[in-house]
Amino acid sequence: MYPIFTHIKIYITRNEFISMDILNVIIENKEMLKILYGLIVVIICMIIVFKTDKIFRLSLYKGIRYLRNAFLFYGLAFFIRYIIGGLIIFGILNQSLNVTEILLFEFFLVMAGFFLLYSLIWKRIEGIGYKYPSTLVNPRIGIFYLITLGIVYLDFVWETFHFMFFSQIAIFTIATIISLRNFIKGSKQHRFLKFYFLAMFLSLVAWILNAISAYYYNWDKGIMINILLINIIIFLLFLYGVVKVTKRK
Amino acid sequence: MGKKRERLDVIKDILQVVRDNRQIKPTRLLYASNLSPQMFKDYVDELLNKKFITLIEDKKGKKFYVIDSKGHDFLEEYKVIENFIENFGL
Repeated sequence: MYPIFTHIKIYITRNEFISMDILNVIIENKEMLKILYGLIVVIICMIIVFKTDKIFRLSLYKGIRYLRNAFLFYGLAFFIRYIIGGLIIFGILNQSLNVTEILLFEFFLVMAGFFLLYSLIWKRIEGIGYKYPSTLVNPRIGIFYLITLGIVYLDFVWETFHFMFFSQIAIFTIATIISLRNFIKGSKQHRFLKFYFLAMFLSLVAWILNAISAYYYNWDKGIMINILLINIIIFLLFLYGVVKVTKRK
Repeated sequence: MGKKRERLDVIKDILQVVRDNRQIKPTRLLYASNLSPQMFKDYVDELLNKKFITLIEDKKGKKFYVIDSKGHDFLEEYKVIENFIENFGL
């Protein structure tokens, strides 16, 4: 399976050699490209966290904080996986850090998913008036930490990613349904709701593709490149939303 | 029955009243806020703690609330905050 843009190239040029060439260039330079990819995602996450800082500080609105936590954790996950991981592969950091890197990556990635979902449902669970001193560590979020540690532990012991895939597919199925409902309810007044739904749906697709790639195609490079492209689109959608909505008129 | 005001709406309403009056007595602000005395106290304490408003005293010892620069900031950003919450389904 080829990535999206090599398909396009095939249709445009009808020259499979050129298309394969692009794929080969990507595969040959994959470690460098992975670092670049990680860097792009980390920068997007940082922009989202900093751009929402002022409105959060003024409002202390918990939903905004949970959303920011999600992107803080996504940023940390991608930094660990692609930048620290890249430095390990290039021999700049010790190989013995490899297992820690994978465990931390999974921990932050799964927690980020939980934070993103919780930002959509916190009001129903906590209620508006309910006060916690922190949105990063509190009894309800503590439950997610425990679940996440359980997921990371089970994946580590069984040497799989089953539990991460299953949890993320479940999280994004629920998030897709909630965002679809929000979109149907308020798309006329709030235009970003459709992009939010799209981002959630694409996230679900990306996780399903990830699982299919792992179980049936032995981490096929073509599928993996497509997943990375989908991920970039998702983060760019969020960045677009944050920049557009926080822009003062 | 009208929809229950959310926390941010209440804060906006209180700040708007204080801003529009330049300075306002506590009892007048209580009436204008449409809140119970206990809820009013909670909100006003929060606004004082966050330095959105300040309690001042004139020469005769009468107390007034005045809006601070952080309160002005909040009112300016309120639309952005509200838009953000609605657009992201938060």
